Amino acid sequence: MTARRRRLISTARPWVLLTPALVVLAGLLLWPLVKVVLLSFQDYQVKFGGGVATFTGISHYRELFADPRLWKTVLPNTVVFATACVGLTVALGTLAALLLQRLGPFWRVICSTAIMAAWAMPAVTGTYVWIWLFSPSDGMMSHFAGSLGLIDPDTTNWFTDRLSFFAIATVNVVHHGFPFVAITVLAGLLTIPRELYEAGMIDGANAWQRFWKITVPTIRPIFLVVTILSTIWDFKVFTQIYLMPGGSGSNEDVYNLGVWSYQRAFAQNDYGMGAATAVLLTLLLLAITVVYIRTLFKESDEL
Amino acid sequence: MKRTTTFSRIGLPLAVVALLVFSLFPVYWMVTTALDPNAVTRGADLLPSGISFKHFRYIFDQGNFGPFLLNSLLVGFGTIVVAGLLALFAAVAVARFRFRFRTSVLILVLIVQMVPLEALVIPLFLQMRDYDLLNSLLGLTVVYIALSLPFAIWTLRGFVATVPKEVEEAAYLDGCSWPRMFWSVLLPLVAPGLVATSVFAFITAWNEFVFAYTFMKDSSQYTAAVGLFQFFGENSTAWGPVMAASTLITLPVLVFFVIVQRRLASGLAAGAVKG
Repeated sequence: MTARRRRLISTARPWVLLTPALVVLAGLLLWPLVKVVLLSFQDYQVKFGGGVATFTGISHYRELFADPRLWKTVLPNTVVFATACVGLTVALGTLAALLLQRLGPFWRVICSTAIMAAWAMPAVTGTYVWIWLFSPSDGMMSHFAGSLGLIDPDTTNWFTDRLSFFAIATVNVVHHGFPFVAITVLAGLLTIPRELYEAGMIDGANAWQRFWKITVPTIRPIFLVVTILSTIWDFKVFTQIYLMPGGSGSNEDVYNLGVWSYQRAFAQNDYGMGAATAVLLTLLLLAITVVYIRTLFKESDEL
Repeated sequence: MKRTTTFSRIGLPLAVVALLVFSLFPVYWMVTTALDPNAVTRGADLLPSGISFKHFRYIFDQGNFGPFLLNSLLVGFGTIVVAGLLALFAAVAVARFRFRFRTSVLILVLIVQMVPLEALVIPLFLQMRDYDLLNSLLGLTVVYIALSLPFAIWTLRGFVATVPKEVEEAAYLDGCSWPRMFWSVLLPLVAPGLVATSVFAFITAWNEFVFAYTFMKDSSQYTAAVGLFQFFGENSTAWGPVMAASTLITLPVLVFFVIVQRRLASGLAAGAVKG
Protein backbone atom coordinates (compact mmCIF):
# COMPACT_ATOMS: atom_id res chain seq x y z
CA MET A 1 0.00 0.00 0.00
CA THR A 2 1.44 3.34 -0.96
CA ALA A 3 1.62 6.13 1.62
CA ARG A 4 -0.77 8.19 -0.47
CA ARG A 5 -3.38 5.48 -0.54
CA ARG A 6 -3.05 4.87 3.17
CA ARG A 7 -3.61 8.57 3.84
CA LEU A 8 -6.67 8.57 1.63
CA ILE A 9 -8.14 5.63 3.53
CA SER A 10 -7.56 7.24 6.91
CA THR A 11 -9.18 10.47 5.72
CA ALA A 12 -12.15 8.62 4.29
CA ARG A 13 -12.72 6.31 7.25
CA PRO A 14 -14.56 8.73 9.60
CA TRP A 15 -16.69 9.96 6.70
CA VAL A 16 -17.67 6.43 5.71
CA LEU A 17 -18.82 5.89 9.29
CA LEU A 18 -20.63 9.22 9.46
CA THR A 19 -22.38 9.13 6.09
CA PRO A 20 -25.40 6.94 6.98
CA ALA A 21 -26.30 9.03 10.03
CA LEU A 22 -25.73 12.32 8.22
CA VAL A 23 -27.87 11.21 5.27
CA VAL A 24 -30.75 10.37 7.62
CA LEU A 25 -30.39 13.66 9.54
CA ALA A 26 -30.13 15.69 6.35
CA GLY A 27 -33.05 13.98 4.63
CA LEU A 28 -35.47 13.88 7.54
CA LEU A 29 -34.57 16.85 9.71
CA LEU A 30 -32.61 19.42 7.70
CA TRP A 31 -34.34 19.12 4.33
CA PRO A 32 -37.84 19.35 5.86
CA LEU A 33 -36.63 22.42 7.72
CA VAL A 34 -35.65 23.99 4.38
CA LYS A 35 -38.97 22.81 2.94
CA VAL A 36 -41.01 24.43 5.69
CA VAL A 37 -39.32 27.76 4.98
CA LEU A 38 -40.01 27.36 1.24
CA LEU A 39 -43.61 26.37 1.98
CA SER A 40 -44.12 29.50 4.04
CA PHE A 41 -43.57 31.54 0.85
CA GLN A 42 -45.99 29.42 -1.16
CA ASP A 43 -49.62 28.49 -1.51
CA TYR A 44 -49.85 24.74 -1.54
CA GLN A 45 -52.86 23.08 -3.11
CA VAL A 46 -53.46 19.36 -2.84
CA LYS A 47 -54.23 17.90 -6.26
CA PHE A 48 -54.62 14.28 -7.36
CA GLY A 49 -51.55 12.34 -6.34
CA GLY A 50 -49.48 15.35 -5.31
CA GLY A 51 -49.36 19.02 -4.53
CA VAL A 52 -49.09 22.18 -6.57
CA ALA A 53 -47.16 25.07 -5.05
CA THR A 54 -47.55 28.70 -6.12
CA PHE A 55 -45.03 31.28 -4.99
CA THR A 56 -46.74 34.02 -2.99
CA GLY A 57 -43.80 35.93 -1.53
CA ILE A 58 -44.13 37.23 2.00
CA SER A 59 -47.92 37.38 1.95
CA HIS A 60 -48.26 34.66 4.61
CA TYR A 61 -45.94 36.51 6.94
CA ARG A 62 -47.79 39.75 6.30
CA GLU A 63 -51.04 38.01 7.17
CA LEU A 64 -49.50 36.33 10.19
CA PHE A 65 -48.17 39.56 11.67
CA ALA A 66 -51.32 41.51 10.83
CA ASP A 67 -53.53 39.00 12.65
CA PRO A 68 -54.50 40.42 16.06
CA ARG A 69 -54.80 36.83 17.32
CA LEU A 70 -51.01 36.50 17.09
CA TRP A 71 -50.42 39.48 19.39
CA LYS A 72 -53.44 39.12 21.67
CA THR A 73 -53.65 35.36 22.09
CA VAL A 74 -51.01 33.14 20.53
CA LEU A 75 -47.75 34.89 21.42
CA PRO A 76 -48.81 35.80 24.98
CA ASN A 77 -50.03 32.22 25.49
CA THR A 78 -46.75 30.79 24.17
CA VAL A 79 -44.42 33.13 26.04
CA VAL A 80 -46.24 33.50 29.36
CA PHE A 81 -47.02 29.79 29.55
CA ALA A 82 -43.43 28.80 28.71
CA THR A 83 -42.01 31.31 31.19
CA ALA A 84 -44.30 30.10 33.98
CA CYS A 85 -43.46 26.46 33.21
CA VAL A 86 -39.70 27.07 33.11
CA GLY A 87 -39.72 29.13 36.31
CA LEU A 88 -41.78 26.57 38.23
CA THR A 89 -39.95 23.57 36.76
CA VAL A 90 -36.50 24.88 37.69
CA ALA A 91 -37.60 26.15 41.13
CA LEU A 92 -39.41 22.94 42.04
CA GLY A 93 -36.66 20.75 40.56
CA THR A 94 -34.02 22.61 42.56
CA LEU A 95 -36.06 22.37 45.78
CA ALA A 96 -36.50 18.64 45.19
CA ALA A 97 -32.76 18.25 44.59
CA LEU A 98 -31.90 20.15 47.80
CA LEU A 99 -34.37 17.94 49.66
CA LEU A 100 -32.92 14.73 48.20
CA GLN A 101 -29.44 15.89 49.19
CA ARG A 102 -30.48 16.27 52.84
CA LEU A 103 -32.21 12.89 53.09
CA GLY A 104 -30.69 9.67 54.36
CA PRO A 105 -30.13 6.82 51.90
CA PHE A 106 -33.50 5.13 52.57
CA TRP A 107 -35.72 8.16 52.01
CA ARG A 108 -33.56 9.34 49.17
CA VAL A 109 -34.27 6.12 47.26
CA ILE A 110 -38.01 6.38 48.03
CA CYS A 111 -38.20 10.01 46.89
CA SER A 112 -36.06 9.64 43.80
CA THR A 113 -38.11 6.62 42.74
CA ALA A 114 -41.27 8.72 43.10
CA ILE A 115 -39.66 11.45 40.99
CA MET A 116 -38.74 8.85 38.36
CA ALA A 117 -42.38 7.74 38.24
CA ALA A 118 -43.47 11.30 37.46
CA TRP A 119 -40.85 11.49 34.75
CA ALA A 120 -41.77 8.15 33.22
CA MET A 121 -45.36 9.12 32.48
CA PRO A 122 -45.54 9.72 28.72
CA ALA A 123 -46.93 13.13 27.72
CA VAL A 124 -50.05 11.53 26.27
CA THR A 125 -51.04 9.42 29.27
CA GLY A 126 -49.92 12.08 31.74
CA THR A 127 -52.17 14.60 30.03
CA TYR A 128 -55.15 12.24 30.19
CA VAL A 129 -54.67 11.77 33.91
CA TRP A 130 -54.72 15.55 34.51
CA ILE A 131 -57.79 15.91 32.29
CA TRP A 132 -59.46 13.15 34.28
CA LEU A 133 -58.52 14.76 37.61
CA PHE A 134 -59.99 18.12 36.56
CA SER A 135 -62.80 16.84 34.37
CA PRO A 136 -66.08 18.73 34.97
CA SER A 137 -68.62 17.13 37.34
CA ASP A 138 -66.99 13.68 37.73
CA GLY A 139 -63.28 14.55 38.09
CA MET A 140 -61.60 14.15 41.48
CA MET A 141 -60.53 17.81 41.74
CA SER A 142 -63.99 19.05 40.71
CA HIS A 143 -65.56 16.85 43.38
CA PHE A 144 -63.08 18.01 45.96
CA ALA A 145 -63.48 21.72 45.16
CA GLY A 146 -67.25 21.21 45.04
CA SER A 147 -67.38 19.60 48.48
CA LEU A 148 -65.41 22.55 49.87
CA GLY A 149 -68.02 24.85 48.34
CA LEU A 150 -65.49 26.54 46.07
CA ILE A 151 -67.23 25.66 42.81
CA ASP A 152 -70.40 24.07 41.59
CA PRO A 153 -69.01 20.91 39.98
CA ASP A 154 -71.94 20.59 37.60
CA THR A 155 -71.55 24.01 36.02
CA THR A 156 -67.82 24.66 36.32
CA ASN A 157 -65.65 23.66 33.38
CA TRP A 158 -62.00 24.40 34.12
CA PHE A 159 -61.05 23.86 30.49
CA THR A 160 -63.13 26.60 28.87
CA ASP A 161 -61.44 29.43 30.75
CA ARG A 162 -58.05 30.48 29.35
CA LEU A 163 -56.42 30.98 32.75
CA SER A 164 -57.55 27.75 34.38
CA PHE A 165 -56.85 25.83 31.14
CA PHE A 166 -53.24 26.97 31.21
CA ALA A 167 -53.00 26.48 34.96
CA ILE A 168 -53.81 22.78 34.46
CA ALA A 169 -51.44 22.60 31.48
CA THR A 170 -48.71 24.17 33.64
CA VAL A 171 -49.19 21.63 36.43
CA ASN A 172 -49.01 18.88 33.80
CA VAL A 173 -45.83 20.20 32.16
CA VAL A 174 -44.12 20.95 35.49
CA HIS A 175 -44.99 17.48 36.83
CA HIS A 176 -43.41 15.92 33.73
CA GLY A 177 -40.43 18.31 33.60
CA PHE A 178 -39.21 18.85 37.17
CA PRO A 179 -37.68 15.36 37.57
CA PHE A 180 -35.06 16.09 34.90
CA VAL A 181 -34.07 19.28 36.73
CA ALA A 182 -34.12 17.57 40.15
CA ILE A 183 -31.93 14.64 39.12
CA THR A 184 -29.48 16.80 37.17
CA VAL A 185 -29.14 19.43 39.90
CA LEU A 186 -28.77 16.71 42.56
CA ALA A 187 -25.93 15.14 40.60
CA GLY A 188 -24.32 18.59 40.53
CA LEU A 189 -24.92 19.20 44.25
CA LEU A 190 -23.15 15.96 45.11
CA THR A 191 -19.97 17.22 43.44
CA ILE A 192 -19.73 20.31 45.69
CA PRO A 193 -17.09 19.73 48.39
CA ARG A 194 -18.52 19.74 51.93
CA GLU A 195 -15.65 21.97 53.08
CA LEU A 196 -17.15 24.89 51.15
CA TYR A 197 -20.33 24.70 53.26
CA GLU A 198 -18.40 24.21 56.49
CA ALA A 199 -16.35 27.30 55.69
CA GLY A 200 -19.58 29.17 54.98
CA MET A 201 -21.07 28.08 58.32
CA ILE A 202 -17.97 29.23 60.19
CA ASP A 203 -18.27 32.61 58.46
CA GLY A 204 -21.85 32.76 59.80
CA ALA A 205 -23.71 32.38 56.49
CA ASN A 206 -27.30 31.19 56.90
CA ALA A 207 -28.91 28.56 54.66
CA TRP A 208 -30.25 31.17 52.21
CA GLN A 209 -26.84 32.87 51.89
CA ARG A 210 -25.05 29.52 51.56
CA PHE A 211 -27.40 28.58 48.69
CA TRP A 212 -26.87 31.83 46.74
CA LYS A 213 -23.19 32.34 47.56
CA ILE A 214 -21.91 28.74 47.36
CA THR A 215 -24.36 26.37 45.66
CA VAL A 216 -25.51 28.54 42.76
CA PRO A 217 -22.09 29.83 41.62
CA THR A 218 -20.46 26.39 41.93
CA ILE A 219 -22.97 24.55 39.74
CA ARG A 220 -23.89 27.51 37.55
CA PRO A 221 -23.33 25.55 34.30
CA ILE A 222 -25.88 22.95 35.40
CA PHE A 223 -28.47 25.63 36.19
CA LEU A 224 -27.84 27.26 32.82
CA VAL A 225 -28.27 24.03 30.91
CA VAL A 226 -31.43 22.89 32.69
CA THR A 227 -32.98 26.35 32.29
CA ILE A 228 -32.19 26.63 28.59
CA LEU A 229 -33.30 23.06 27.84
CA SER A 230 -36.56 23.58 29.75
CA THR A 231 -37.12 26.82 27.84
CA ILE A 232 -36.70 25.04 24.50
CA TRP A 233 -39.06 22.24 25.56
CA ASP A 234 -41.72 24.50 27.02
CA PHE A 235 -41.91 26.85 24.03
CA LYS A 236 -42.86 23.94 21.80
CA VAL A 237 -45.32 22.16 24.10
CA PHE A 238 -47.84 20.62 21.75
CA THR A 239 -49.27 17.28 22.88
CA GLN A 240 -50.30 18.53 26.31
CA ILE A 241 -52.27 21.49 24.87
CA TYR A 242 -53.66 19.69 21.83
CA LEU A 243 -55.12 16.80 23.83
CA MET A 244 -56.84 18.94 26.47
CA PRO A 245 -60.53 19.71 25.85
CA GLY A 246 -60.69 22.63 23.41
CA GLY A 247 -56.96 22.46 22.75
CA SER A 248 -57.28 20.90 19.32
CA GLY A 249 -58.95 23.95 17.83
CA SER A 250 -62.42 24.48 19.27
CA ASN A 251 -61.19 27.06 21.77
CA GLU A 252 -59.15 29.80 20.07
CA ASP A 253 -58.24 31.33 23.43
CA VAL A 254 -55.80 28.52 24.18
CA TYR A 255 -53.77 28.39 20.96
CA ASN A 256 -50.03 28.49 21.28
CA LEU A 257 -47.68 28.73 18.28
CA GLY A 258 -47.32 25.00 17.81
CA VAL A 259 -51.04 24.26 18.01
CA TRP A 260 -51.95 27.22 15.79
CA SER A 261 -49.48 26.11 13.13
CA TYR A 262 -50.75 22.54 13.24
CA GLN A 263 -54.37 23.68 13.20
CA ARG A 264 -53.85 25.83 10.10
CA ALA A 265 -51.95 23.17 8.19
CA PHE A 266 -54.03 20.10 8.96
CA ALA A 267 -57.51 21.30 9.95
CA GLN A 268 -57.76 24.19 7.50
CA ASN A 269 -55.47 22.64 4.83
CA ASP A 270 -53.58 25.94 4.71
CA TYR A 271 -50.05 24.52 4.62
CA GLY A 272 -48.51 27.90 3.71
CA MET A 273 -49.89 29.70 6.77
CA GLY A 274 -49.11 26.69 8.95
CA ALA A 275 -45.54 26.74 7.66
CA ALA A 276 -45.15 30.49 8.28
CA THR A 277 -46.35 30.03 11.87
CA ALA A 278 -43.99 27.08 12.28
CA VAL A 279 -41.09 29.17 10.95
CA LEU A 280 -41.83 31.85 13.55
CA LEU A 281 -41.71 29.19 16.29
CA THR A 282 -38.48 27.81 14.85
CA LEU A 283 -36.86 31.26 14.81
CA LEU A 284 -37.80 31.75 18.46
CA LEU A 285 -36.25 28.39 19.34
CA LEU A 286 -33.21 29.09 17.20
CA ALA A 287 -32.53 32.25 19.21
CA ILE A 288 -32.67 30.18 22.40
CA THR A 289 -30.48 27.46 20.85
CA VAL A 290 -27.79 29.99 19.97
CA VAL A 291 -27.66 31.00 23.63
CA TYR A 292 -27.49 27.29 24.58
CA ILE A 293 -24.60 26.50 22.25
CA ARG A 294 -22.64 29.61 23.21
CA THR A 295 -23.06 28.68 26.86
CA LEU A 296 -21.87 25.13 26.24
CA PHE A 297 -18.84 26.31 24.34
CA LYS A 298 -17.95 28.78 27.04
CA GLU A 299 -18.23 26.15 29.76
CA SER A 300 -16.28 23.36 28.09
CA ASP A 301 -12.97 23.83 26.32
CA GLU A 302 -13.14 20.68 24.29
CA LEU A 303 -16.27 19.51 22.56
CA MET B 1 -28.12 25.19 64.81
CA LYS B 2 -31.44 25.20 66.68
CA ARG B 3 -33.31 26.38 63.60
CA THR B 4 -31.88 23.52 61.54
CA THR B 5 -33.19 21.02 64.10
CA THR B 6 -36.72 22.43 63.98
CA PHE B 7 -36.59 22.29 60.21
CA SER B 8 -35.34 18.68 60.20
CA ARG B 9 -38.07 17.61 62.61
CA ILE B 10 -41.07 19.26 60.93
CA GLY B 11 -40.11 20.86 57.63
CA LEU B 12 -38.23 17.92 56.17
CA PRO B 13 -40.98 15.29 56.66
CA LEU B 14 -43.55 17.78 55.34
CA ALA B 15 -41.44 18.42 52.26
CA VAL B 16 -41.01 14.68 51.70
CA VAL B 17 -44.77 14.13 51.92
CA ALA B 18 -45.47 17.03 49.54
CA LEU B 19 -42.93 15.70 47.02
CA LEU B 20 -44.30 12.15 47.21
CA VAL B 21 -47.90 13.30 46.79
CA PHE B 22 -47.18 15.61 43.84
CA SER B 23 -45.01 13.01 42.07
CA LEU B 24 -47.05 9.90 42.67
CA PHE B 25 -50.67 11.05 42.91
CA PRO B 26 -51.32 11.11 39.13
CA VAL B 27 -49.76 7.65 38.77
CA TYR B 28 -51.79 6.38 41.73
CA TRP B 29 -55.01 7.88 40.37
CA MET B 30 -54.37 6.39 36.91
CA VAL B 31 -53.73 2.86 38.20
CA THR B 32 -56.56 2.84 40.76
CA THR B 33 -59.07 4.22 38.23
CA ALA B 34 -58.00 1.51 35.80
CA LEU B 35 -58.70 -1.12 38.46
CA ASP B 36 -61.89 0.46 39.87
CA PRO B 37 -64.96 -1.29 38.40
CA ASN B 38 -67.03 1.87 39.01
CA ALA B 39 -64.41 4.30 37.74
CA VAL B 40 -66.65 7.17 36.66
CA THR B 41 -68.75 7.41 39.81
CA ARG B 42 -65.65 7.33 41.98
CA GLY B 43 -65.64 11.07 42.64
CA ALA B 44 -63.05 12.06 45.19
CA ASP B 45 -62.79 8.68 46.92
CA LEU B 46 -59.12 8.04 47.56
CA LEU B 47 -59.53 4.25 47.54
CA PRO B 48 -61.05 2.43 44.57
CA SER B 49 -64.46 0.85 45.22
CA GLY B 50 -63.03 -2.56 44.34
CA ILE B 51 -60.40 -4.28 42.23
CA SER B 52 -61.30 -5.68 38.83
CA PHE B 53 -59.64 -6.14 35.49
CA LYS B 54 -62.78 -5.48 33.49
CA HIS B 55 -61.45 -2.24 31.96
CA PHE B 56 -58.33 -4.06 30.79
CA ARG B 57 -60.45 -6.80 29.27
CA TYR B 58 -62.64 -4.15 27.64
CA ILE B 59 -59.78 -2.33 25.88
CA PHE B 60 -58.53 -5.58 24.35
CA ASP B 61 -61.94 -7.05 23.47
CA GLN B 62 -63.75 -3.93 22.28
CA GLY B 63 -61.02 -1.28 22.10
CA ASN B 64 -58.76 -3.18 19.69
CA PHE B 65 -55.80 -2.21 21.83
CA GLY B 66 -53.69 -5.32 21.18
CA PRO B 67 -52.81 -4.41 17.58
CA PHE B 68 -52.01 -0.82 18.66
CA LEU B 69 -49.52 -2.10 21.22
CA LEU B 70 -48.05 -4.45 18.62
CA ASN B 71 -47.62 -1.55 16.16
CA SER B 72 -45.85 0.48 18.84
CA LEU B 73 -43.54 -2.46 19.57
CA LEU B 74 -42.71 -2.96 15.88
CA VAL B 75 -41.95 0.73 15.34
CA GLY B 76 -39.93 0.85 18.55
CA PHE B 77 -37.77 -2.16 17.70
CA GLY B 78 -37.24 -0.98 14.13
CA THR B 79 -36.10 2.35 15.51
CA ILE B 80 -33.59 0.96 18.01
CA VAL B 81 -31.96 -1.49 15.61
CA VAL B 82 -31.29 1.05 12.85
CA ALA B 83 -30.75 4.13 15.02
CA GLY B 84 -28.40 2.20 17.33
CA LEU B 85 -26.27 0.99 14.46
CA LEU B 86 -26.08 4.36 12.66
CA ALA B 87 -25.40 6.19 15.91
CA LEU B 88 -22.61 3.77 16.84
CA PHE B 89 -20.85 4.31 13.50
CA ALA B 90 -21.18 8.08 13.84
CA ALA B 91 -20.09 8.03 17.48
CA VAL B 92 -16.93 6.06 16.63
CA ALA B 93 -16.16 8.56 13.88
CA VAL B 94 -16.39 11.62 16.13
CA ALA B 95 -14.84 10.04 19.21
CA ARG B 96 -11.97 8.14 17.55
CA PHE B 97 -10.85 10.26 14.63
CA ARG B 98 -9.58 13.80 14.36
CA PHE B 99 -10.70 15.14 11.01
CA ARG B 100 -11.67 18.40 9.34
CA PHE B 101 -15.23 19.60 10.08
CA ARG B 102 -15.45 17.33 13.13
CA THR B 103 -16.63 20.20 15.31
CA SER B 104 -19.02 21.31 12.58
CA VAL B 105 -20.58 17.84 12.54
CA LEU B 106 -20.99 17.93 16.32
CA ILE B 107 -22.62 21.36 16.23
CA LEU B 108 -24.91 20.21 13.44
CA VAL B 109 -26.02 17.25 15.56
CA LEU B 110 -26.68 19.59 18.48
CA ILE B 111 -28.68 22.03 16.36
CA VAL B 112 -30.95 19.47 14.71
CA GLN B 113 -31.82 18.26 18.19
CA MET B 114 -33.46 21.63 18.86
CA VAL B 115 -35.60 21.72 15.72
CA PRO B 116 -39.26 21.85 16.80
CA LEU B 117 -41.20 18.80 15.64
CA GLU B 118 -44.21 21.01 14.97
CA ALA B 119 -42.20 22.67 12.19
CA LEU B 120 -41.15 19.35 10.67
CA VAL B 121 -44.54 17.71 10.75
CA ILE B 122 -45.93 19.75 7.82
CA PRO B 123 -43.14 19.13 5.27
CA LEU B 124 -42.64 15.52 6.42
CA PHE B 125 -46.36 14.86 6.06
CA LEU B 126 -46.29 16.16 2.46
CA GLN B 127 -43.07 14.23 1.75
CA MET B 128 -44.49 11.00 3.16
CA ARG B 129 -47.67 11.50 1.17
CA ASP B 130 -45.69 11.95 -2.05
CA TYR B 131 -43.73 8.75 -1.38
CA ASP B 132 -46.91 6.93 -0.37
CA LEU B 133 -45.57 6.33 3.13
CA LEU B 134 -48.55 7.63 5.10
CA ASN B 135 -50.31 4.93 7.09
CA SER B 136 -47.10 2.96 6.92
CA LEU B 137 -45.23 1.71 9.96
CA LEU B 138 -42.06 1.88 7.87
CA GLY B 139 -42.53 5.60 7.18
CA LEU B 140 -43.11 6.31 10.86
CA THR B 141 -40.08 4.23 11.87
CA VAL B 142 -37.84 6.18 9.48
CA VAL B 143 -38.94 9.45 11.12
CA TYR B 144 -38.32 8.07 14.62
CA ILE B 145 -34.85 6.91 13.59
CA ALA B 146 -34.04 10.49 12.61
CA LEU B 147 -35.56 11.87 15.83
CA SER B 148 -33.56 9.60 18.11
CA LEU B 149 -30.24 9.83 16.22
CA PRO B 150 -28.87 13.14 17.60
CA PHE B 151 -29.28 12.10 21.23
CA ALA B 152 -27.99 8.59 20.50
CA ILE B 153 -24.86 9.91 18.76
CA TRP B 154 -24.25 12.37 21.56
CA THR B 155 -24.54 9.72 24.29
CA LEU B 156 -22.64 6.94 22.51
CA ARG B 157 -19.81 9.34 21.74
CA GLY B 158 -19.18 9.50 25.50
CA PHE B 159 -19.18 5.72 25.83
CA VAL B 160 -16.81 5.19 22.89
CA ALA B 161 -14.45 7.81 24.30
CA THR B 162 -14.13 5.84 27.57
CA VAL B 163 -12.77 2.75 25.79
CA PRO B 164 -8.98 3.02 26.14
CA LYS B 165 -7.13 3.46 22.86
CA GLU B 166 -4.60 0.83 24.04
CA VAL B 167 -7.22 -1.90 23.70
CA GLU B 168 -7.60 -1.10 20.02
CA GLU B 169 -3.85 -0.79 19.49
CA ALA B 170 -3.29 -4.18 21.07
CA ALA B 171 -5.85 -5.65 18.68
CA TYR B 172 -4.07 -4.08 15.72
CA LEU B 173 -0.74 -5.53 16.86
CA ASP B 174 -2.38 -8.95 16.98
CA GLY B 175 -3.19 -8.47 13.31
CA CYS B 176 -6.84 -7.52 13.65
CA SER B 177 -8.32 -5.75 10.64
CA TRP B 178 -10.27 -2.55 11.27
CA PRO B 179 -13.77 -3.98 10.70
CA ARG B 180 -12.89 -7.02 12.79
CA MET B 181 -11.65 -4.75 15.59
CA PHE B 182 -14.92 -2.83 15.39
CA TRP B 183 -17.13 -5.88 15.82
CA SER B 184 -15.12 -8.04 18.22
CA VAL B 185 -13.31 -5.46 20.36
CA LEU B 186 -15.15 -2.15 20.35
CA LEU B 187 -18.74 -3.38 20.15
CA PRO B 188 -18.65 -5.56 23.29
CA LEU B 189 -17.00 -2.75 25.25
CA VAL B 190 -19.61 -0.13 24.37
CA ALA B 191 -22.50 -2.60 24.73
CA PRO B 192 -23.81 -0.98 27.96
CA GLY B 193 -23.96 2.39 26.21
CA LEU B 194 -25.67 0.82 23.24
CA VAL B 195 -28.28 -0.72 25.54
CA ALA B 196 -28.92 2.64 27.23
CA THR B 197 -29.28 4.57 23.97
CA SER B 198 -31.49 1.83 22.52
CA VAL B 199 -33.87 2.06 25.42
CA PHE B 200 -34.04 5.83 25.07
CA ALA B 201 -34.67 5.51 21.35
CA PHE B 202 -37.36 2.96 22.12
CA ILE B 203 -39.06 5.30 24.58
CA THR B 204 -38.93 8.16 22.04
CA ALA B 205 -40.78 5.99 19.55
CA TRP B 206 -43.10 4.52 22.19
CA ASN B 207 -44.21 7.92 23.56
CA GLU B 208 -44.34 9.94 20.35
CA PHE B 209 -47.73 11.36 19.49
CA VAL B 210 -47.60 14.18 16.90
CA PHE B 211 -46.17 12.27 13.94
CA ALA B 212 -48.06 9.06 14.69
CA TYR B 213 -51.30 11.01 14.98
CA THR B 214 -50.71 12.94 11.74
CA PHE B 215 -49.37 10.11 9.58
CA MET B 216 -51.57 7.22 10.67
CA LYS B 217 -55.10 7.84 9.47
CA ASP B 218 -56.07 4.19 9.08
CA SER B 219 -56.95 2.78 12.50
CA SER B 220 -55.21 -0.54 11.75
CA GLN B 221 -51.91 1.37 11.73
CA TYR B 222 -52.41 3.32 14.99
CA THR B 223 -49.70 3.17 17.62
CA ALA B 224 -50.77 2.84 21.24
CA ALA B 225 -50.52 6.60 21.94
CA VAL B 226 -52.81 7.39 18.99
CA GLY B 227 -55.12 4.45 19.66
CA LEU B 228 -55.66 5.94 23.08
CA PHE B 229 -56.61 9.30 21.59
CA GLN B 230 -59.24 7.81 19.29
CA PHE B 231 -60.56 5.80 22.18
CA PHE B 232 -60.92 8.89 24.30
CA GLY B 233 -62.68 10.85 21.55
CA GLU B 234 -65.35 8.24 21.06
CA ASN B 235 -66.31 7.71 24.69
CA SER B 236 -65.33 10.87 26.47
CA THR B 237 -66.58 9.60 29.82
CA ALA B 238 -65.16 6.05 29.69
CA TRP B 239 -62.37 6.90 32.10
CA GLY B 240 -61.89 3.32 33.28
CA PRO B 241 -60.78 1.98 29.87
CA VAL B 242 -58.78 5.16 29.08
CA MET B 243 -56.87 4.84 32.35
CA ALA B 244 -56.38 1.08 31.83
CA ALA B 245 -54.82 1.74 28.41
CA SER B 246 -52.76 4.62 29.85
CA THR B 247 -51.46 2.29 32.55
CA LEU B 248 -50.34 -0.25 29.93
CA ILE B 249 -48.50 2.47 27.99
CA THR B 250 -46.85 3.95 31.08
CA LEU B 251 -45.82 0.74 32.85
CA PRO B 252 -42.89 -0.33 30.62
CA VAL B 253 -41.37 3.18 30.73
CA LEU B 254 -41.84 3.38 34.48
CA VAL B 255 -40.11 0.06 35.11
CA PHE B 256 -37.18 1.15 32.93
CA PHE B 257 -36.77 4.52 34.65
CA VAL B 258 -36.77 2.97 38.09
CA ILE B 259 -34.17 0.38 37.03
CA VAL B 260 -31.75 2.87 35.48
CA GLN B 261 -32.23 5.75 37.90
CA ARG B 262 -28.71 5.68 39.31
CA ARG B 263 -26.96 5.54 35.95
CA LEU B 264 -29.28 8.19 34.58
CA ALA B 265 -28.29 10.65 37.29
CA SER B 266 -24.55 10.40 36.74
CA GLY B 267 -24.98 10.40 32.97
CA LEU B 268 -27.10 13.55 33.05
CA ALA B 269 -24.64 15.38 35.26
CA ALA B 270 -21.73 14.48 33.00
CA GLY B 271 -23.75 15.51 29.96
CA ALA B 272 -24.79 18.81 31.50
CA VAL B 273 -21.29 19.81 32.49
CA LYS B 274 -19.37 18.48 29.51
CA GLY B 275 -22.04 19.14 26.91
